[in-house]
Amino acid sequence: MILDIQKLETGYGRLQVLRGIDLSVGKESVGLFGPNGAGKTTLINAIMGIVKPWGGSILFEGEPIGGKPTHEVARMGIALVPQERELFPGMSVADNLELGAAYVPRGKGIMAQQLETVLELFPILKERYKQFVGTMSGGQQRMVAIGRALMANPALLILDEPSLGLQPSIVAEVFDRLSILKKDIAILVTEQNVRESLKAIDRGYVIENGSVLLEDTAEGLAKNPHVVSAYLGI
Amino acid sequence: MKNKTSYAIAAGIAVIMIAFPAFLGAYPLNVARSVMTYMALAISWDMLLRSGQISFGIAGLFGLGSYASALAVLRGGMDPFLSIVFAAVFAGVMAYALGFVVLRLRSMYFSITTLALMEIFRIIIHNLHDFSGGPEGVVLPGVIFKGSASALYWLCLGGLFITIGASYYFEKSKMHLALTAIRNDETSARSNGVDIFKYLLIAFVVTSTLQGMMGAIQVQSYGFTMPDTAFDGNFTLLPLAMALLGGVHSTIGPMAGAVLLGVSAEWLKLQIPYGHLVVYGIIIIIVILFMPQGIVGMVRKASRTGRRSGRKAGASNE
Repeated sequence: MILDIQKLETGYGRLQVLRGIDLSVGKESVGLFGPNGAGKTTLINAIMGIVKPWGGSILFEGEPIGGKPTHEVARMGIALVPQERELFPGMSVADNLELGAAYVPRGKGIMAQQLETVLELFPILKERYKQFVGTMSGGQQRMVAIGRALMANPALLILDEPSLGLQPSIVAEVFDRLSILKKDIAILVTEQNVRESLKAIDRGYVIENGSVLLEDTAEGLAKNPHVVSAYLGI
Repeated sequence: MKNKTSYAIAAGIAVIMIAFPAFLGAYPLNVARSVMTYMALAISWDMLLRSGQISFGIAGLFGLGSYASALAVLRGGMDPFLSIVFAAVFAGVMAYALGFVVLRLRSMYFSITTLALMEIFRIIIHNLHDFSGGPEGVVLPGVIFKGSASALYWLCLGGLFITIGASYYFEKSKMHLALTAIRNDETSARSNGVDIFKYLLIAFVVTSTLQGMMGAIQVQSYGFTMPDTAFDGNFTLLPLAMALLGGVHSTIGPMAGAVLLGVSAEWLKLQIPYGHLVVYGIIIIIVILFMPQGIVGMVRKASRTGRRSGRKAGASNE
């Protein structure tokens, strides 16, 4: 198991958001669905150490990471593509990609090789290599963000709403690349766009009010009456 | 190729600057020293600014370095040149200790705290009468290098070269990525494995060391100091204005700003003995109004637009 979360509870101030989440990710691609405010982003923040867990445990490759500082979690091999792209707009594509690997031991040694992989996956970044990220379109920026995360050679890639604010053709492209990736690394992805993401994932969780409501394979979720009525809108 | 040319130009300028005492008199050398001191402070301020932290404490560390050096010579009988090294290290160690507190603060809270620290240093020196000489200040037994104008100039130039070297290292090494990332977005920097506190502390200690070193060079070159001179607010405000004027987040920007403001201040002083500060203020206002990116930013923009229109003229295939 790459990521194993047991009975995770956390929140902000006095507001509890997660009420005992159990979730695991193996060498597969896992989707995380749920309405706004369900706790998807909070769960990711807790994994990354951006918010501290109140209770429960988070194991990454068998090691407890709950409450560790964010940069240490990143160095252990979890890469995050945040919801707001949170790129470094004043830096070029090249600098952004280099930054992804520069501070992570497992990415640093094989930087050239990773760069080749990333540029192969997103050829547009090769064309725009020296361009400042702030001047690029939303879809291209998302690709830079994913590319930067991959530069770290992560064991687990977390994507928070990768399709947010993108036009449908770009969304399809992003998910197309994700399905290429899932052969090599574990992926945890949150999505509002359930229909597109079901094509790219193996398994999924539906979270509502801070706890897991459903857990099933992609095919199972696609047929589940609750998912169909609440998320696929049929 | 382009790099080779710019290295050659930089080396040429450095040689000319080293050779200045051969053909300049004592007065221009003195002006040059003042400009170089402000230039080094402006560069060091910018080095920390690259991480997004605006320090108002330059004068504090400058004064701390001044006094550390002066008192090491007076009370400890240290060699004047060695005392400059001692003062730089002292300022660095102080910054390291204080960093654990002030670097937890951000934006205006950080700025105000650095300003307050400067005031605390000044008041301590002011009141430690027996040790620091109090408000009357301290007079050293002599000026370093027996007051030779050329030697003092080279000493100051040495300090400036060390500062430029450190800034260049910050620009070209991994520090650049870390500081830019922290300035852009701390959460994102963290999620990429950047240990924010570590890099802020390195930047704070290095820039404080440089500021302390320049303060020590200053006090050894004049042979005396007092709290109101060593902790003069101008040592905070002028470097800040120079860096903003020249263009921030680079080594060359603060240098350009320091030359322009430093030389024009001196020239205005001679031309308009009463009221040069008014003209000086107007220059700063005009530059900030019309060149918000600073001189270097404007030149870069102009060259970029030039290149773009040149490409269009050449029937590009885009």
